[in-house]
Amino acid sequence: MDVLGFYPMWYVPVVGSGFVIAIIAAIHVMASHTSVGASILLAYLATKAYRENQPQIYDYIKKYLLGLLVFSYVSGSITGPGIWFSATVVNPRGISALIHNFVWVWAAEWVWFIAEVTLVYILFYTLGKIDQKSWLRLAWTFAISSWATMYIIVGILSFMLSPGHEKWFTTGSILDAFYNKNYFPHLLERTSYMFAIAGTVGLAIAALMKKDLPEKVYKDIVKTLSYWGIGGIVFGLMFFAWYVSTLPERSHVILEKVIPLYLKLPIMLIILVVLAHFVLAAVRPQAVRFWMAYPIYALIFFMGVYPEEKIRETIRKPYVAGEFVWVNQIISRDVPAKGIKSEVPVIDQKGLLTVNPFVPEGLKKINSQNEIMAGKAIAILQCSGCHNVTGSTGLRPFGQKFAGMTDPNAVYGFLTSYLRDNHPPYMPKLVGTDEEIKALSAYIAHMISKGGSVSAKIEVPNTSAEAKKEVQP
Amino acid sequence: MKDMIRWFLLFILSFMLIGGKWAFAGDVGAMLKAMADPAGAPFYPVVMQVLQVLTWMLHMIFVYTSIGGLFFTIYGFTKKEERWQRLAKATLELSKVSVSLAIVLGVAPLLFYQVIYDPLWYTSANLSAWWYVLFIVFLLIGYYFIWGAYFTKDKPSMSMLMSVLGVLFLLLVGFIIHVVNYQALYPEKWVEWYTDGGRTMNISGWNIYAFNVFRYLSFLVFPSIAVTGVFLMLYNWYFRSREDMDKDYLDWAGKLGARSAMYAGIGWLVSHILYIFTIPADWGAKGSIFTWLSVLGLVLCAGVVFSSQKNPAKMAIPSLLAGSVALLLIAVFREYLRVASTARFGYSIYSYKLNLEFLSPLLFLGTLLTGLVLYAYAWWMAYQAGKTPKGKVYEASETEHHLGDLSVFVVILWAIVFIGVGLIVVVRNYG
Ligand code: HEC
Ligand code: HEM
Repeated sequence: MDVLGFYPMWYVPVVGSGFVIAIIAAIHVMASHTSVGASILLAYLATKAYRENQPQIYDYIKKYLLGLLVFSYVSGSITGPGIWFSATVVNPRGISALIHNFVWVWAAEWVWFIAEVTLVYILFYTLGKIDQKSWLRLAWTFAISSWATMYIIVGILSFMLSPGHEKWFTTGSILDAFYNKNYFPHLLERTSYMFAIAGTVGLAIAALMKKDLPEKVYKDIVKTLSYWGIGGIVFGLMFFAWYVSTLPERSHVILEKVIPLYLKLPIMLIILVVLAHFVLAAVRPQAVRFWMAYPIYALIFFMGVYPEEKIRETIRKPYVAGEFVWVNQIISRDVPAKGIKSEVPVIDQKGLLTVNPFVPEGLKKINSQNEIMAGKAIAILQCSGCHNVTGSTGLRPFGQKFAGMTDPNAVYGFLTSYLRDNHPPYMPKLVGTDEEIKALSAYIAHMISKGGSVSAKIEVPNTSAEAKKEVQP
Repeated sequence: MKDMIRWFLLFILSFMLIGGKWAFAGDVGAMLKAMADPAGAPFYPVVMQVLQVLTWMLHMIFVYTSIGGLFFTIYGFTKKEERWQRLAKATLELSKVSVSLAIVLGVAPLLFYQVIYDPLWYTSANLSAWWYVLFIVFLLIGYYFIWGAYFTKDKPSMSMLMSVLGVLFLLLVGFIIHVVNYQALYPEKWVEWYTDGGRTMNISGWNIYAFNVFRYLSFLVFPSIAVTGVFLMLYNWYFRSREDMDKDYLDWAGKLGARSAMYAGIGWLVSHILYIFTIPADWGAKGSIFTWLSVLGLVLCAGVVFSSQKNPAKMAIPSLLAGSVALLLIAVFREYLRVASTARFGYSIYSYKLNLEFLSPLLFLGTLLTGLVLYAYAWWMAYQAGKTPKGKVYEASETEHHLGDLSVFVVILWAIVFIGVGLIVVVRNYG
């Protein structure tokens, strides 16, 4: 029996399992960009405090550090592994491909991760307990370690989108994979925006301390944060333009045709709001208010980071890693350098249900009894990464995409001529044997005729033992 | 005649059983092989394995002090006496910092595990997908309860409530990771579990298929108390030299720690042995040297802790060492179980496909060395600051300043090399 290395499938009806990653990832991006940006801003402020002999700045730093610890580090250090945990159950073979290529790079990041987490505690507890110069050194090593985690993760994220260069498939070189076309613009873009994010929450904290700080110190802090914030936005926009120019062809198509305006527009709006806020703060530091700065910070999450994560996830499609693993876990092209073979030919010949070890025996041979269920299993295995395949609400639902198609033959004609033979850049090619595509068509026609929504449960007429007996009489 | 037929049938039956088992082992073996990532491991699997075992041990030390610390906090808050109240706050602080460390240290074994045992880890996680995601959610909630307890530590009843909730969530988190680790050890059952014997596909991700209470107790609950007990001995030892600390209180805490470590250590040993008895016979684990070494480690550690009862501060470091050795032997035993289980199906990490590559291991090594310089400096300064009485400022010595300059230098150097290499590669490929 031929098996391919598929894992048990997880199906989240309506919103799709990818939604789980998106939420966790957005929280993580928010927290981590706040922390990394803040680590550099605080080191800079501490230098200022030391050079200009303004010890009150340390009071501000201490407050900010506590805020970071409680809000950014707790949620950031948990949601970081959280992205990985959720990706493990959504895209096991995607994350596996990344880990098998980049394990040491991640291990290097881990060294910085430990430095970062221990240093944030150490900085907090030793502030005012060790001499200023020593503390300052710790603050700068903290800043660079934090930033170093970004140097590293950005290379891996960019590789997920694309290795950037055809060369990698034949060299397999880690350098080609990591320092891909997208790497520097991506790194610089994130680096710029993180100052705006950390600066915004920094203003909120400064506003809270307005009464406790001498006016000059307060103004100094607010102005410093605002200049960094303005710089972050301006450079961020520039690097964003560069970033877009390095995207692969398919991502441009997706960006134009698939990404809805309601994801793009809020990002532009929030950038303007944040910029205006910094300009106001730079001109009139006294006007900064907690009840303004903090909600803007929160809005960055909803209007900036979440849509950005959604878009980044979508323009990667139909792949999850390095342009060779599809969202539906199928390895779709050869990587000669690694001895990786495309699984598409085997699946087209033997059938997706046959080669997946977690499909019950009773579905592997399709007959009139199990056809609908086999079709449902195919839909879940092959399409549910991007579609709600059992309903007509939520994520690109089949109930809507196939509306009106109650005739299995019509569905079959559409699937073969479009998805199998002429698939669009944002979807993987439809794979499987002809009987399987017929079963999928039968299932889709069936669910449409049931009103576009059926239960996600898969019921197999025969147990595995019975099915095995049938095959070997 | 009747007997003959009976014997004949029995022979056929046993043949079917054995033959069936062979065929089945073949299926499971083929499945495991197919699941191993075709990209192969970028480095020798044995190195991954060693790192996995070592970093798991580090991870667990802080898992134990996270949970154990809360046990002491909760108990302490129920007591009226001032020293118990004080201890409750100290162990709360310990727990709070430990969770952070447990999390960051958990990342390393997670990485190495997934390189060499990807079939086990990914399958097991996907079998219980929602739980696997909830692991993160519960950890987040639990950790915020612990911070809540910390911020309300001057209101013991409130703080205790938060601590109780915190420890419950952490125990739940431990339960989930236990299930994932435990299910992973039974590849022969995965398909059966997932398909309910072929009747369906459990795509919902809400199922939990296996749990072993002795393993849970011996890998999580008892050691939490025992290890935290040893930490209390260290607490006694570390703060004794600080003149603004109350010696009687410290000695009392050290004694309490030593006593708790001893009683919990016995529970640990018993549950560990009971767990060993539940391991299926065909793994051959009961006769293995690794199994008995892990028991021996625990017995030795119990011995050291037993002899520490009189003077815990003096015996703090030896107890720490003995405990570390015991934990290391347990970590090796845990790994041995994976080897024993998968060997039944012909899976061996030593024959994992290799796509050897040296640059990224070099990056790791370089980063680790850089990191070690930085850790040494930072932890040393923290250690000194902690020994400085309240209200005083610690002035670094000449040598410490040099070490500080060195650590700033190596960190900046690392960044320059990392970015510099990137620039060269990008210019070469795209310039
Ligand atoms: C990688 C993600 C992905 C996978 C996997 C995927 N699709 Fe799609 N599909 C999309 C996107 C993106 C669109 C664009 C329309 C939208 O956003 O609603 C789309 C649109 C469609 C449409 C509407 C026609 C069109 O091109 O707009 C149909 C029909 C469809 N998909 C069927 C399927 C079927 C059947 C499968 C499984 C064999 C499948 N899709 C798998 C991403 C995917
Ligand atoms: C503070 C909450 C945590 C608790 C209570 C906890 C507890 C445990 C326990 C009890 C085990 C052993 C399970 C068994 O073998 O039965 C374990 C193993 C493991 N934990 Fe944690 N853990 C926690 C956090 C984490 C985090 C955040 C990560 C990942 C980032 C992690 C990664 C791992 C890994 C990978 C293993 C298996 C390692 C191996 O087998 O080599 N843990 N943990």
